[in-house]
Amino acid sequence: MKIRINNSERETQAATLQQLAQELNLPAKGVALAMTNRMVPRTEWADTPVTEGCDIVIIKAVCGG
Amino acid sequence: MIQFITHYNERYGYLDSVRLALEGGCRWIQLRVKDATDSEVRPMAIEAQRMCREAGATFIIDDRVKLVGELGADGVHLGLKDMPVAQARRILGDSFIIGGTANTFEQARAHYEASANYIGCGPYRFTTTKKNLAPILGLEGYRTIMEQMRNHGMDIPVVAIGGIEEPDIPAILATGVSGIALSGVVLRAADPVLKMKQIIKITQHG
Repeated sequence: MKIRINNSERETQAATLQQLAQELNLPAKGVALAMTNRMVPRTEWADTPVTEGCDIVIIKAVCGG
Repeated sequence: MIQFITHYNERYGYLDSVRLALEGGCRWIQLRVKDATDSEVRPMAIEAQRMCREAGATFIIDDRVKLVGELGADGVHLGLKDMPVAQARRILGDSFIIGGTANTFEQARAHYEASANYIGCGPYRFTTTKKNLAPILGLEGYRTIMEQMRNHGMDIPVVAIGGIEEPDIPAILATGVSGIALSGVVLRAADPVLKMKQIIKITQHG
């Protein structure tokens, strides 16, 4: 499905934020993630579904990627 | 996405402001304490970080690169007069979030090239919270900067800052910025927790 990450469209197979984090190889530390403008704590990633067209913002310490 | 910047007034101290923001559902706190030494700020920062960890909130500290490294906070926010982003990155390494204040696209680009992870862009309008005022951006300023960032492939989030009130939020988010930084507006409210809840609801397209 298509989602938006930091204002860019992207294709993903991830069903949850946890899976998305794995797909994007997000580091264990230094990452903040918001979905539909809401910051989602890491502890909730596994229980937060990724839905078609959803808007995700990722602030991550390591640049690029 | 709301970033709450600590503040104090006649009713609440810095740590009260952290607690109220977290209770109101905010999950991104910037501890900003001006005109104090790291030693003076350290105990407060430790407590603020503990509260943020407990709530699962991201915790960053304004300006104090050394303290951020020492405490293992999530990151640092650097104003235009603080340490340059590149220098902070050399000190902290790759596992800390570094945000930089920008008033213009050129400043945003310089931060991006220096490895900043987000931009605090403002001021939106005149504010009494912060001294050293740069020219105000308004909605048009954000539209222009966001377009320039897109054109240059700069994909780091932008947080709007500076004198933003609740009714301004939908229009500011519509310019393409990802977040809103707030300070005074929450603490000035009769019920800061409720105010934060209302503001977060607005950002959820609700």
